[in-house]
Amino acid sequence: MNKQRNEISRERIFDAIRAAAPTVTADVKAIQNEALEILGESEFARPALLAEDAAEALTLRIEAGLVIGTSCEKIASLDQLPDSVNQFLAKYALPAELKVQEIERLKALNWDGITTEVDIKNDNTVGLCWAEYGIAETGTFVVHSGPDMPILLNFLPLYLLAVIPKSKILPYMDDYALIAGEIAQRGETPRNMCLISGVSGTTDIEGVLIQGAHGPEVLHIIIVEDQ
Amino acid sequence: MSQEIINADVKGAKSNTIKCLNISEKKVGLFVTCLVNTMRPSVGFASLKLLEEAGCTVEVPEQQSCCGQPAFNSGDDEGTRQIAYQTIKQFENFDYVVVPSGSCAAMIKKNFIEVFKDQPEWLARAQHLADITHELLSFLVDVCEFESSGIELEGSYTYHDSCSGYRALHVYEQPRKMLANVKGLEHNPLNGHSECCGFGGTFCVKYSDISNEIVAEKAENILATEADYLLGGDMGCLMNMAGKLNREGHKEIKALHTAEVLAGLAPQILGDENASK
Amino acid sequence: MQANKPENFYQNVKDALAQPDLKMIIRRTTDKAEAKRAEAIANFPGFENARKQGQKVKDHTIKYMDHYLAEFEKNALAQGTIIHWASTAEEASKIVLDICRQHEAKKVTRSKSMLGEEIGLSHALDNSGIERVETDLAEHIIQLAGDPPSHIVWPAMHRSREDVIKLFREYHKDPTYSEEIIDLVRSARRDLRTKFLTADIGISGSNFLLADSGSSCTVTNEGNAELTITPPKVHIVTAGIEKLVPSMAHAVPLLRLLTRSATGGEITQYITFHNGPKRQNDADGPEECHIVLVDNGRTKMLADGMEEMLRCIRCGACMNHCVVYKHIGGHAYGSVYPGPMGSVLTPHLNSLEVANKQTHACTLNGRCEEVCPVNIPLPKLLRSLRAQSWDKKYEPLTNRFVVKAFAALAKRPKLFQLVSSCGVIFMRLCSRQGWIKSMPLAGGWTRNRDLIEPESKTFMQQYKAMKKAKSDGA
Ligand code: SF4
Repeated sequence: MNKQRNEISRERIFDAIRAAAPTVTADVKAIQNEALEILGESEFARPALLAEDAAEALTLRIEAGLVIGTSCEKIASLDQLPDSVNQFLAKYALPAELKVQEIERLKALNWDGITTEVDIKNDNTVGLCWAEYGIAETGTFVVHSGPDMPILLNFLPLYLLAVIPKSKILPYMDDYALIAGEIAQRGETPRNMCLISGVSGTTDIEGVLIQGAHGPEVLHIIIVEDQ
Repeated sequence: MSQEIINADVKGAKSNTIKCLNISEKKVGLFVTCLVNTMRPSVGFASLKLLEEAGCTVEVPEQQSCCGQPAFNSGDDEGTRQIAYQTIKQFENFDYVVVPSGSCAAMIKKNFIEVFKDQPEWLARAQHLADITHELLSFLVDVCEFESSGIELEGSYTYHDSCSGYRALHVYEQPRKMLANVKGLEHNPLNGHSECCGFGGTFCVKYSDISNEIVAEKAENILATEADYLLGGDMGCLMNMAGKLNREGHKEIKALHTAEVLAGLAPQILGDENASK
Repeated sequence: MQANKPENFYQNVKDALAQPDLKMIIRRTTDKAEAKRAEAIANFPGFENARKQGQKVKDHTIKYMDHYLAEFEKNALAQGTIIHWASTAEEASKIVLDICRQHEAKKVTRSKSMLGEEIGLSHALDNSGIERVETDLAEHIIQLAGDPPSHIVWPAMHRSREDVIKLFREYHKDPTYSEEIIDLVRSARRDLRTKFLTADIGISGSNFLLADSGSSCTVTNEGNAELTITPPKVHIVTAGIEKLVPSMAHAVPLLRLLTRSATGGEITQYITFHNGPKRQNDADGPEECHIVLVDNGRTKMLADGMEEMLRCIRCGACMNHCVVYKHIGGHAYGSVYPGPMGSVLTPHLNSLEVANKQTHACTLNGRCEEVCPVNIPLPKLLRSLRAQSWDKKYEPLTNRFVVKAFAALAKRPKLFQLVSSCGVIFMRLCSRQGWIKSMPLAGGWTRNRDLIEPESKTFMQQYKAMKKAKSDGA
């Protein structure tokens, strides 16, 4: 890489900005306060939730058909997950195999009769993942990349099941942004934070909505109450 | 129909029953606009009549010309200033300045100050003029609290909200409110009522063919209302739409300025038009 | 389809208006977008507040651009991202090419980025012999067709299903013979899937750059950005410096505005924040991450008093609602960015001399400003570009002459009134049965519409006569 050229361009850009915007202040604290003040307006600048309780609002949103290609159900405890998965597979007449995210609490479940390891590089697979958070405002589940969370698990399968712990469902995107800020403060920001709100869709051919453009065509969200 | 209108203005046309605030001590200057001056003087007389009925003392300074939009919209700031200087001088001493056109009113209210950014003295005078200037219909309704009554016109109308009036000055309710008091007149709402008609001042001659596509679509929407009258508050837009409708052979719908209807001049104007056919 | 040139705007417009089905093709997309946006906003009573907040976020960041750029750089470096700076389009695409060469990349995948188009990255990659795979479905279609984009949100909106059928049959390895749209999309899915997984480098744009974390954010409906970025060893982001916001919390109001204004949806399906290369034990992700920060005229916009334009979040609402765009379509503008926002941007990215005609192709009706989610006064900016091109004498001489003559008259009211009354006489001479069908010097008007016949005297003449009659009578 041409370091020198890079340096020159950098300086050129900064000089141009400083020349154009003479109001620039060096007082970082003042800038931060101004930025914070803007966030104070969020309360009046966001849509109403469909219910007071965040988990309820998320469910209602999905049930109202507002989250593309997405259905949802609640289960009382995580033990019931394999049953739900079985029902899902049956509903779509799929073989009893899927890729289950490799984390302890999912591995530990009783998966009798279901293959939990498939190569998602093939098409037409089913994936099951554990979401870090849910967001009621947008019908979103959030995943963070990590050693046991391959991001592609959320994108390659044609059918995707996402488990959200009820206690981790947040009302608004702003609430998630706050948490992301805290994670950053701790220096633990993962490489990817994905906010997923529905399935892979396109309207690029004559404006007709098609699900499953590259990623999932069907998304099923399972809210677990005891987690 | 020149002289007739003047006479009509004096005695012929029906007059509105007066019900408005007493603002007669306020002096109103009428800025006629160049299109009204040359193409449709009756709109000027209708404005005069309405303002007087609303209790205003109206004066029409003879030393007026154009609001300067053709220069301003072409980017000629110096030309705009030259025009604005004399408009400001002519009108700044009135209590109110009233304009029977949304786009010319918006020019004075919003754009004069744009060209005086570097001239503090003129900027202040332009700002003052902006503050006292009003579009006709919004002035009658919002400032004079004038309610027309006693005017009759049989038929249905559709209304085109011209862009400057609608977006820059938020004129929407006022003409509808006043037209609702015209006996016998029904409103057939226009699909895309606030969509641009393609006039755009110099745009319609510079990009005549694009403008034509736009006004052709507007004409379709107008015809779909099956209204007898096309009303609006801007001569430019009205001439554009009426010109297109006529070119396409649609003589069944008549374009009128709202003020003409409200002042009760419509029957004479329409009679006149028919006479000249 | 060859890309039109901005300087040939008049001809481009002529060609566009001559295409019989162009209007239907455009409306198929824009009418739906317009209706859906209106619905989304009707369902969101806080929209006006969100707009004000979104505008504030952008204005604040633009005001302290140098502070936030430095903060972004620091934090991105700390994440392990390599930062590059590019003053011009050429520099930016050269930086990307150099990275590709350094890694001996044979195949790169790209997720849709208007900035990538702006800096000419597609051509640069094609010319260097690297296989370029566009992964956004619309970009995939126009890549196969060899077309420039015609809209910033739906770049392939000008292509019909029939076109797509032909293209996919010709180019897909395992094409479909069905004509159903779903099967066409599946055909693309099959074709692109292996390419996602075998690319050497993934290139994306960024909707937001978060200063406090050094993150870049992608927003897609298809999920193609994550599929572009995750599998390859190297991820390159190209982003304009105006994409900065202070933090994720500041991006949130803009996200609320973006989707509603663009497609009328409430939120885009995939919003991902990318924070540098993969961590030590991560299950997947690129090993190397570059961000190229591009100026290309943006600081010039700051200097020229056009900073409001830097608020733009590329939602496309202004073109969906533009009466001119709706009749001539995106290609006529001869720029990556069409419509109202494009007519403001192009003169800065290219030059005003080349792109001044577009600034006049607007009725200044204000609809674009009315729908812009960040309140950009597009008509005001277009007008000020007209003023600049007036000062620089880019205007055709005849136009200048007419406007100047008019202004010279209008500043002399007496003369103006005299000429007006002569005009009336002249017009009445040309008139038949109340209408003027054609008249010397008025061809621009009478080519397409008639002109009403004026009354026999101007208002001023009649008014004076009336006053005189009154005072004589009194
Ligand atoms: S100018 Fe405004 S409406 Fe147009 S693309 Fe940019 S943000 Fe959207």
